Amino acid sequence: MAPLLSLEHVSKNFGALKVIDDLSLSLDAGEALGILGPNGAGKTTLFNLIAGDLPVGAGAIRFAGEDVTGLPAYIRCRRGIGRTYQIPHPFGNMSVFENVLAGAAFGATRREAESYERCIDLLRLTNLLGKANLPAGKLTLLERKRLELARALATDPKMLLLDEIAGGLTDTECQLLIETIRAVHRSGVSIVWIEHVVHALIAVVGRLFVINFGQKLADGEPRAVMESPQVQEVYMGIEER
Amino acid sequence: MSSAASTPAFRIERSTRTSWIGLVLAIAIVVLLVSVPWWGGEDDLRLIVEICYTIALAQLWNLLAGYAGLVSVGQQAFVGLGGYALFGLTILAGVPPLPAIVLAGVIAALIAVPTALIVFRLRGAYFAIGTWVIAEVYSEVMGLIRDLGAGTGMSLPVAISRHVGETRFDREASLYYVGLVIGIGTVAVVFAWLRSRQGLALTAIRDSETAAGSVGINNDRTKYAVYLLAALVTGMIGALIYLEKLRISPDSAFDVIDWTADIIFIVVIGGIGSIEGPFLGALVFFALRYFLADYGAWYMILLGAVAVVIMLLAPRGLWGLVADRFDIHFFPVRRRVRLE
Repeated sequence: MAPLLSLEHVSKNFGALKVIDDLSLSLDAGEALGILGPNGAGKTTLFNLIAGDLPVGAGAIRFAGEDVTGLPAYIRCRRGIGRTYQIPHPFGNMSVFENVLAGAAFGATRREAESYERCIDLLRLTNLLGKANLPAGKLTLLERKRLELARALATDPKMLLLDEIAGGLTDTECQLLIETIRAVHRSGVSIVWIEHVVHALIAVVGRLFVINFGQKLADGEPRAVMESPQVQEVYMGIEER
Repeated sequence: MSSAASTPAFRIERSTRTSWIGLVLAIAIVVLLVSVPWWGGEDDLRLIVEICYTIALAQLWNLLAGYAGLVSVGQQAFVGLGGYALFGLTILAGVPPLPAIVLAGVIAALIAVPTALIVFRLRGAYFAIGTWVIAEVYSEVMGLIRDLGAGTGMSLPVAISRHVGETRFDREASLYYVGLVIGIGTVAVVFAWLRSRQGLALTAIRDSETAAGSVGINNDRTKYAVYLLAALVTGMIGALIYLEKLRISPDSAFDVIDWTADIIFIVVIGGIGSIEGPFLGALVFFALRYFLADYGAWYMILLGAVAVVIMLLAPRGLWGLVADRFDIHFFPVRRRVRLE
């Protein structure tokens, strides 16, 4: 079976700086993939390329059997690529409920009234139902991150790109988040998760992909990847919680 | 996800208590306005028409700048094109004036299609300057049309204005109702637009263009639709204005102060990004003009000073102050969740 997502020799430069350098990557439907790498390795840029927020410099991106390289972000979203932002981008003057509704009404192209129930369910899942009528701009950082998740899920993604949503959580909160993402994964959504909180990542994903200087450093079973000499070297000094 | 527990019972509310009060108030005002020709004079009618189209222009500019992020300084292009379309249609093509108002709007919208292709390539300040430049280009082009008076402009033949009404008062009364329909219609369309799915997309774009794209909103098409709507109605307003003035020239029809700068003033002091704001701004604008009309240049200086002070003290305008303090919304576009 063809993979759900494949990047073929993708490169991206910012001026003279090579941020993504001839990177290839593939993801099967139903997989959960973790992405690790030091700061500045190009992880968020990789998401921007996959989601269509940035055009690739070279190479091709295929999703669900279609070449999406030239498609704008909103069409990729409708094809099933959902994403959260590392730095949350809430619609600050809209209510929390309307934020999620926007995802359901446009990403999933449902009629507005048919989306209401789904939005309520997602707000409950992300524990934001009590704040449904609050302007999203009034949420705390952690609540904004949960809103990112709810809004991305509202678009009915086939694949969910999660960009560092576990940072700053207490152990209990982190455990809840892990349960939530597992439930999303069980429901059939493929996951690609960038995260520095390695133990949370390993609790969910079945495969790890490590990038450094925009190139693949390792790819495989999480424990084997973490113990490989190259990864150990790059991660020297970065503690594993 | 199919969670085990079922969805809690809920209701989505689209109205507020103040919005019902607002509705009653609005109906009362409309009834009052409809009756004006029976008891008011020509001056009253003219002033109310001016207030109507000013509020309509302000609502449209607010939709463009306050929601779609399209800070246009060139809306006078469509006032001018609408006015000239009316003169052209009635004088050269023999169309009766009232249908010509609607057609003038359509023509303005048609011209907006290629205009958008050019100005939409520009962002931020460049968009503002680009729209202004294009308005100047249209002004120059109209100044070349000899059949429409070229650079010096022309008057509407008496025979054509007779179509609107036999006596002077009949004409004023007819145009009064046209102005009323355009004013109330614009507010109604803007309100309906913002309450709809389109409005959801538009407010999302206003808050974050990046995130709007990532949830499947087609930013360009949403903005494009607003731009064309604004051109359509602005064109009709231009036609109405010059049917009432009976005389058109490129300098007045494409005047950036009258048709855009004053409107920006109204929206900014009233409160950008709300329907209530332009009403409040128009109130302040007409009040200042009424009390300061005799002071010439001081009027413009004071207008500018008021704008600067309000921008510094209340960046979201006068309505922003009111809405923050009392949480009232006469035009509710929100969706409130009520759990039962």
